[in-house]
Formats: sequence, C-alpha cells, structure tokens
Amino acid sequence: MYREIPHKLGRAALVLTLLCVVGGGPAVAGSSDNADYTAMSAEELAEHLIFKARGFNTDEATQEGGTVRDRLTQDQLQKTCSELKGGQIDSATVQTVTQLAQKSMTYPDGGIELGDWKKGQAIAENAFGFRVGHKVDDHSSRETGGLCMNCHRLEEKKAIRSGTLGPSLIGYGKERGTSEQTKKYTYEVIYNPHAFFPCTKMPRFGANEVLTQEKIAHILAYLLDPASPVNQ
Amino acid sequence: MNKTIESLWASKRLLLAMPIALLALTGTASAQCVNCTNEDPKKILLDLIDQIDSAYLTQSPQNLMMMEDNPAYFVVDDGKALFEQKRGPNNVSLEKCDFGKGPGVLDGAYAEMPRYFEDTGRVMDLESRLVHCMKTLQGFPSDDPALKARADIRALMAYVGARSNGYEWQPSMDHPLEKAMRDAGEVMFYRRSSVLDFSCNTCHSETGKQIRASVLPNMNVPKEWTKAVSWPALRVGKSSNVRSPYQRLRGCYWQMRKGQINRRSDAAIAMFSFWKDAARGEPAILPDLKR
Repeated sequence: MYREIPHKLGRAALVLTLLCVVGGGPAVAGSSDNADYTAMSAEELAEHLIFKARGFNTDEATQEGGTVRDRLTQDQLQKTCSELKGGQIDSATVQTVTQLAQKSMTYPDGGIELGDWKKGQAIAENAFGFRVGHKVDDHSSRETGGLCMNCHRLEEKKAIRSGTLGPSLIGYGKERGTSEQTKKYTYEVIYNPHAFFPCTKMPRFGANEVLTQEKIAHILAYLLDPASPVNQ
Repeated sequence: MNKTIESLWASKRLLLAMPIALLALTGTASAQCVNCTNEDPKKILLDLIDQIDSAYLTQSPQNLMMMEDNPAYFVVDDGKALFEQKRGPNNVSLEKCDFGKGPGVLDGAYAEMPRYFEDTGRVMDLESRLVHCMKTLQGFPSDDPALKARADIRALMAYVGARSNGYEWQPSMDHPLEKAMRDAGEVMFYRRSSVLDFSCNTCHSETGKQIRASVLPNMNVPKEWTKAVSWPALRVGKSSNVRSPYQRLRGCYWQMRKGQINRRSDAAIAMFSFWKDAARGEPAILPDLKR
C-alpha cells in the first residue's frame, strides 16, 4: 500500500502555503495538490505521484477482477527487487527473494505433465492479455498468451524476430531430456523464476496467475517434447 | 565514416548496412526540415552512429533512408502556422509563450524542459506548458475543444520541438522542485509492479537487447537514450502519424500491463524529467522518425 504523508508535514505544508499566499510569494514547492514535494523522499514522492496526485487512472478495472491500484501496489518481492535500482544483487537479497519464491510454489494436481507442444508454441508466440488503459485486452475475445517469444529465442528460423532479453531456449529439451527433475525445474522457472534467479526480469507466470496450469503444461511440452520445433 | 563501415562489416550486418554506408557517403540532397534548428535530424543521428557501435541506432536502414523525407516535417510546418495564428477569445498567437527562456524564445527551449516555472509554481513539460499558454494567453477555457484537439497540439509540440533540434538535452536542475521530480522519476523508472513484475529498467538497462524484432535503447547509454527520448516523432506503421512524448510513455505503461498514466500529470512529468536527465549532453533529434 502507499505511504501516507506524515500528518505533521501536511500541516506544516498547509501553514507555509497559506503564509506564502498571504505574503504574495509563489506557492511552496508547488504541486497540483499543494503537497510539499521537496519535503518528501524520492520514494515517498513517487508513491504520492502514483496514488495521490492523480498520476494514474487507478480506479480502472482489470481483467483479473481488481483495479489498476492493485496492479500498482507493490508486493514484498517487487519492493525488494526495486531497491536494487538496476545494480548488483547482494547475498541478503538473494536469500530473501529465493525463499519468498520457493514458498510461493504450488504444483498441478496429479503431478507435472507435458501437454501439447503445438498449443505451447501458440502460447509462446502470443503476447495478448492483461493490457488496460487506452486499449483494453478483452479476455473473452481471445486466448491470452505467455509472451515467451518477446524475450526468448525458441526456434532457429524465427530467431531474427525473437527477443534477446532472456537467454536463448533453442534446443532446450534436446539438451535436458524429460526426466522428472527436468520437468520440475522447468515448471518452477515458469511458475516463479526468482527461486533460481532472484530479481530476474522474467515475470512470475504461475505465482502471478498470468498462465493457467493447463497453459504451463503446453509450454513445457513446447520446450521439452523431442518432437517440438524447439528441439529440432 | 571509415570506423562506422568497419564496425558494420564486423557485426555481419553487411547487407543491411550497405545502404547506411552509401547514404553516409553521398550526403543528403533532397528534402530538408525548414523549421528545424541546427543540422538536419538525419545528420545528427548519423553523427551519433559514427561515435558508438549501436545496434539500436542502426536497426532500421529503411527509416534512416526515409528521414530526409520525414512526413513529420510537414507537421512541423503546420505547427508553426498554428503557433503564429491569432486564436482563442483573446485573439492572440502563441508567440509570447514563455517556455522557460523568456516569452517568445523558442530556440533550445524544449531541450531545457521539463523545468520549474515561477508563474505556476510547478515543474512543467512541453504539453502542459503549451496548454497553459493556450489558456492564459489565448484565453481558451478549460473545456474548449481547442484544448482537446490532439492532432493540433501535437503539431504545435512538433514545431516547438523542431526549434530544439540539435540542441543538447539540458533539463533545468537548479530548483529543488526540479530535482525532486527528477528523483521521483528515477524511483518510478526502477519500480517493479503489476502482473508481469516489469519496470522501465526491465527493458531499458542493457545494450543491444531485443524485444521480438526491435532493438531496445539502453537508458545508461546517453548516445542511445537521446534518440529514445526524441519526441515528438513520426512512428512508421499503422498509425503513421506524429506521436508525442506522452503517447510513448503511455504505450510503455500499456505494454507493462500497469495502467494508464495520465496526460500532463506530475507522475508523467517526473518520468520526463528523469528521461531527459539521462540523455543530458547529447543532441536532440527533432522531429525523429521511428519504428
């Protein structure tokens, strides 16, 4: 949740503003809502601009049933990783985040199975879903995807138009086989990659409920099935 | 030029790079940005390409070829006409608008924004300052259609932007409020949130990375980032019109699945403050032509 501006500060700002207005000077640390921006830390001001100063359309409904406010409210993992500000991760953060991630793991009933690699391919190439604002993704009109190809190369002949923010996954299954261990590891990376790569750029596709268990199973097949184009 | 060609050979983008090399050698002889300050935007980009090896700056030989015929130049001309036209209840032009360097001073003004303005007590970006002038100088009331005529406002922004083409980004950073906004923008840049856990930093922290086929600019490389923040610009593609800095920012928040950031809000202005500060010292390319 956002932090309230300390009451003392608010009162002081109000008094100062009144004095300045009466005195004829410019409004103190002027802002659109008369809060004193220069009295806040950068973190406090960011939260204020997002949640209090009409910076975002926070009441807009989201596809998962909440609001934009919910989406912009950080959880512990997001807050922790944001504090790195793009710098190197320290061992304390590694511990905190990997433990958070491991605790979040849930597994499909009946164990981890491979689905249909053709469906997995479609999910991997599909970036539809969860966008709100000036153009809303209507989840009743289309399947939502996993955005995998946005960041990863998966098939050699599609490499030029596949992203490189994440490592290449070309030949992923060929190198690893389909043991229970491999299936479990691959599943966990998709579900919550922070268990192995704390503060990774990769989304928590399972823990954040971006992908269903069924879709994860299809992606597992796309990655691990020897017949999949990934492994040709 | 030799260094550029060597590096392009080495990167094995030979076939794609040939047009760039040829263009660089032949120079430009066709259309020109009449209302742009300094050298043509294309020359500014070519100079940057000459200075660093950048997959981002060189990713579209086609766009580079089109730059000298950028349709945005016509929009800049339209914007100039609109800027100088007597409009609104007060029947005056925008020629006395103060963008921070004094009323009527346009050259280099956009390159120093966002900045603090004494008369409003706020840090303002180009769009909010333009709307402010339309209200206070020209007398347009807040609900006037002229203030919602987005294409017109973009044309005005394109013109004011073109008058900072080639100027170094030097957002004013003397006033405590300017620093506060810039620092808040920095926090926002790194702030991970929403269902995909993205922040701006997720995509803009490394050199040469791609999202699908698009090479991303690295915020930590000013010679790349200057092009990234050079808006208004024409985006080639289905909309194929001049887009504003706000539209770029809105597009990013849309892709990050976070929610709509509001036009002319302090949150947006804080982001622009940080953006421009990250490009400090490098020349603006205005109007630009982009994917």
